[in-house]
Amino acid sequence: MKNKITPIILTITALFISSSARAEGGVIDFLGSIGKIYSVIAVIVVILLGIGYFLIRLDHKLTKLEKQINNNE
Amino acid sequence: MRSMWWKYLSIIILIYVVIMGLSTPLKPGITSVSKLNVKAGSMENIQIEGYNTRFADADNRVWLKLNDSYAIRARQVAVADNNRMTATFKFPAETPISAKNAPLTLIIDNEVQGPAIMPSAMFINGTEGKSGDGWKAPIDKIHDLPGIQFPYRNILNETIRNTFFHIPLWFSMFILLVASLWYSVKYLRKQHIKDDIYASCLIRVAVLFGVMGITTGSIWARFTWGTFWTDDIKLNMATVAMLIYVAYIILRSSISDVDRRAKISAGYAIFAFIALVPLVFVIPRLTDSLHPGNGGNPALGGEDMENTLRMVFYPAIIGLTFLGLWFTSLLIRYELLQERLIDDTLNEG
Repeated sequence: MKNKITPIILTITALFISSSARAEGGVIDFLGSIGKIYSVIAVIVVILLGIGYFLIRLDHKLTKLEKQINNNE
Repeated sequence: MRSMWWKYLSIIILIYVVIMGLSTPLKPGITSVSKLNVKAGSMENIQIEGYNTRFADADNRVWLKLNDSYAIRARQVAVADNNRMTATFKFPAETPISAKNAPLTLIIDNEVQGPAIMPSAMFINGTEGKSGDGWKAPIDKIHDLPGIQFPYRNILNETIRNTFFHIPLWFSMFILLVASLWYSVKYLRKQHIKDDIYASCLIRVAVLFGVMGITTGSIWARFTWGTFWTDDIKLNMATVAMLIYVAYIILRSSISDVDRRAKISAGYAIFAFIALVPLVFVIPRLTDSLHPGNGGNPALGGEDMENTLRMVFYPAIIGLTFLGLWFTSLLIRYELLQERLIDDTLNEG
């Protein structure tokens, strides 16, 4: 399970980075508009992504543990 | 039932941080002036651009301040719109002190918004006169805008709010690493496998926070320093410190024997912490850095922080630290359960 989710996350991140690199001018301009307020939003989104990554990892670990316990019984 | 109060507290504090951090307005600021160098004795029309200002909504008084006792006031102020105005200054023939590119502070006092200040807005050249004639304009009756505003800084603009998200991540990471050091030492003294699990879980969450800290810092750098990655010393030293801890996680996963893994990783963690302190706290202060508070002075005193920022900044540290400890406690509970499961299987087998 864990091995399935990691490539998905990596692919999404790579896609995001490559698309934003292609449209960098546009994205950067948008994030820098209105006194650069959207870059603050981008920072908050990064923190939420970090928290989300932690929760997904823990979720998969717990699923594995549950399976082990079920197999033992 | 485990004690839950600090977990709820962390959520409440973080909600407060996000709401206060995003909804509090900035003070009005001055983004640019049309003329940089002026001569004594000249008459200048200076176009001023403001951010978050309301020039058109109320009366504005404009000064150029040379130092605490000398200032001149604009003869005439023509407001174009809320963010643009033209101020006409008649500079006296002589300056009260000998001025060679002496910096002038631009002050605009607005009746509804209070003062917008731009230090070193212009530089003046002039010969010293005896009396300081014409430089005696009093800067008085400055208005106050009620309520809380964050300070305006050029270049930073709204990203000053990142103070509540980027910096507390590093602070709470450091607190988690101090705790992990405690458990690593405790493991080496008493050899309880529980202490090893505590230390490793603390470090894993600390590394997550560190990676988030680097990413958020990179985004912040793009919009203030102009690039995602600079050769700034603090940035690179923090990255090295992070890599040392990433190596810790890899090292652990490469050893299968539980006791050996615990001993080696406890020793490595102590070494990593000892490397972290000079990398993050000492070396950046010895050289110049783009980060505030480096090249000598401490970051939290002085002009970089204001009380309005501290009102959100310190809660952010507490909230993120509690959140990190909460994450750690979840990881620890998982690891302890797995430990028990392995023990049970061994006993049955």
